[in-house]
Amino acid sequence: MAATVRQLVIRALTLFGVLLAVLILLVISLGATGYSDNLLRAQVSEETRALRQSLSQTVRDPAELERTVAARQAEIERFYGLDTPWYQRLPPAVLRVLRLDLGESRSLRTADGSRDVGAIVRERLPYTMLLLTSSSLVTSVTGLIVGVRMTTRAGGRLDRGVAYFAAISFAVPAWWLGILFILVFAFRLQWFPSGGMLSTPPPEAEWDRARDLAWHALLPILTIVVVSVGPYIYTVRTMTLSVAQEDHVLLARAKGLPERQITNRHILRVAAPPIVTGLVLGLAGSLSGSILVETIFNWQGMGRLYFDAVGSLDEGVIVALTFVFTLLYVMLRFLLDILYVLLDPRVRLAS
Amino acid sequence: MLDADSAAAEPEPGLPPVTERGGSRGALRLLTASGSGRVGLLLFALMVGLSLWVTFTYPRDFGVSRWSNPAVWADNPRNAPPNWTRFFDDVVPHSVRILTTPAETETIAAGEVRTFSVPIESSAAGSPGSLSMTLNGVAFRERPPALLAALVRPDGGRIRLSSVPIAAPRPGESPPFRRFYESPERVLLSSGPTAAQSLSGFFADRYPGVVISLPQGDLSPALFGRPADDGSGRIVAIDGDFELEIQAVVADPADEIAPIRVTAAGTAYGLMGTDGLGRDLWEGLLYGFPVALLVATLTAGASTLIGASLGIVSGYRGGAIDAVIQRFSDIVSNVPTLPLLIFLVTLLGRHLWLIMLVLVAFSWPGLTILVRSMVLQLRSGQLVESARALGASRRRIMTHHVFPQVAPFIIAQMIFFAPGAILAEASLSFLGLGDPSIPTWGQMLEAGFRTGALYVGYWWWVLPPGILIVLTAIAFMLLALALEPIVDPRLRRPS
Repeated sequence: MAATVRQLVIRALTLFGVLLAVLILLVISLGATGYSDNLLRAQVSEETRALRQSLSQTVRDPAELERTVAARQAEIERFYGLDTPWYQRLPPAVLRVLRLDLGESRSLRTADGSRDVGAIVRERLPYTMLLLTSSSLVTSVTGLIVGVRMTTRAGGRLDRGVAYFAAISFAVPAWWLGILFILVFAFRLQWFPSGGMLSTPPPEAEWDRARDLAWHALLPILTIVVVSVGPYIYTVRTMTLSVAQEDHVLLARAKGLPERQITNRHILRVAAPPIVTGLVLGLAGSLSGSILVETIFNWQGMGRLYFDAVGSLDEGVIVALTFVFTLLYVMLRFLLDILYVLLDPRVRLAS
Repeated sequence: MLDADSAAAEPEPGLPPVTERGGSRGALRLLTASGSGRVGLLLFALMVGLSLWVTFTYPRDFGVSRWSNPAVWADNPRNAPPNWTRFFDDVVPHSVRILTTPAETETIAAGEVRTFSVPIESSAAGSPGSLSMTLNGVAFRERPPALLAALVRPDGGRIRLSSVPIAAPRPGESPPFRRFYESPERVLLSSGPTAAQSLSGFFADRYPGVVISLPQGDLSPALFGRPADDGSGRIVAIDGDFELEIQAVVADPADEIAPIRVTAAGTAYGLMGTDGLGRDLWEGLLYGFPVALLVATLTAGASTLIGASLGIVSGYRGGAIDAVIQRFSDIVSNVPTLPLLIFLVTLLGRHLWLIMLVLVAFSWPGLTILVRSMVLQLRSGQLVESARALGASRRRIMTHHVFPQVAPFIIAQMIFFAPGAILAEASLSFLGLGDPSIPTWGQMLEAGFRTGALYVGYWWWVLPPGILIVLTAIAFMLLALALEPIVDPRLRRPS
């Protein structure tokens, strides 16, 4: 048990190291390229200009005006930390980000107009989660059912078909499949909306809104599922197949246990850890992929937010989102480790 | 998963030791033996061939001088589907003809009349959208030549079109007087008062009693049409062969008229259609091949080089070096690549080399971890041990005795890296972060998506680049699949 805890702690430290490494990379690339300085300078000059304008109404003497503005400008520069080099100014900013205080955006806002990046992320995150969790759910259920079924027909035509389908899935970017689906299902057949999250105007009643949301979510979910289900079925099939050939399964069969019980208790229980690994890794992959899929379907989640931030060059949001994406990714990875410990008695009891 | 280090340290008894001599020849045999390998090789050879062709025939700065230069595409129809859609859709192919030699030359008292003629296709389904000619140069000695254009209709009409004024010699200029050589002169033939007058005169003559109003602006529908039979004054297109006649009256037989380009604007263009700026998509699609191959091979090669050498060093040296490399690759392999790629490219600029650099920087750790575990096995093997007993240096053992044994595996892994690199570049380009001086398939898709081509159904713009991305990735996947027995010896068929 102690050994397991030690391993989990090492793992947690490694993943924390990932976070830190990413943040350091962000800081160095922001600082060393002079990007951060330029950004702040633009901010300062903007504020100084506004100040000069408002002062010129009251202060008539030009020399007096210049002096006041210069004094105020130095003050603003000190406030933004422009009087210190970037490697002294940015570390506190990193600590702030680590405490999830993500700063303010330049142009992007929440629905009620807040520019707090944390609030924007909190508003968008549930929509991303809706897409990711429901598509993972569909993928895992389909994968388990089909994958286990295929075990009995290994080497058959269906088996080979799924193998090719899985291989092709790796080569098809989810976003291009989304484009294809929009062309076929939204444009040609007009079965589904081509994007967005709610119809215009959005339905009034709570229940209708939820249905409308689900209706719009269907095509993006289908896209993610089609791309990820092939490899997953194949993982399940391979893992189950290799366990099914082991001696203890043969023994269970020899004992005359019912086939259902053999599958559930003797095969799936043993094959569970790699199967779960495949699922969580797929989820982690879809997290990055959501940037593109949400963009295609104009789905107002975190991914679309990232795309909009890149489009409007809102560096504050880009930095914050890079961090949030890394954080979510790392959290998923850690969840995976914990699940692994829970599922695999060999890992849990090794001491 | 948790305990990769200690598990990998002891070789699994079930696995045969990874020894494969003459790896590259064995790999080639594997590739040609399986169906997927053969298809992969075929696709790959096709891509290499097209890439070579593009490399030798396209201008070096294709992206800047052609693709992103609106002047090159000014004459082309915008958002036009491919020519071959005429077989199932009402479209008119766009046609461009270059006239070099006159069809007829007649000597008259005042000099010479050169007549050029161009057949122009029109059908009831649709007629050319406009008619224009571009003069690429005229040189004369005495009087400026007169250029007269006329459209000969299948119903017997001969419509005079706009003529081109050519400036007379300026004081101080010496013959021959050269015009339009520096900046070609484009003349829209299908509009203007001359054509309108001539056309209404002809209609009144040929179809008396029918009142029709000529279209505003471009006269093409009327030029290639006639009044509808129901007397409503509508204009319907004529099915038949038209002919554009251009007569040049020159004073001196030595006067030159450089090739004239005649454009009958259609609603369909070329092999693959055009995008919203009138760019020939076929040209852009072809250019994508060498770029995709470059991204794939360079990124995969560099990642493999770094990953494999770190893995060999880590596995063979052991100790602190091993620990540092393993911790480091553990951290790097857990970084989500796409967000960081987006961040770095936004910050440092949209350059292809930067994209490849970042891809390499984050893709090597997987290979390092795998190669290390293989090297751990080999280190205690007889081959390495005897080399060590003979007094070979550490470096020599690593390069001459360890590397050849893991080489086939590394080559297979390298091919496996390639599709990822292609897809990553495409994804980034699709987000609008592609290198603007080097057009790629991803960027063509991005342009289509940004301008809404997707939502109005311009399939010829958004489908082919995606299909090529997928095909390229599949070609590499198939090669990797065929080489799988090298990676996993359990799959090796008994021979």
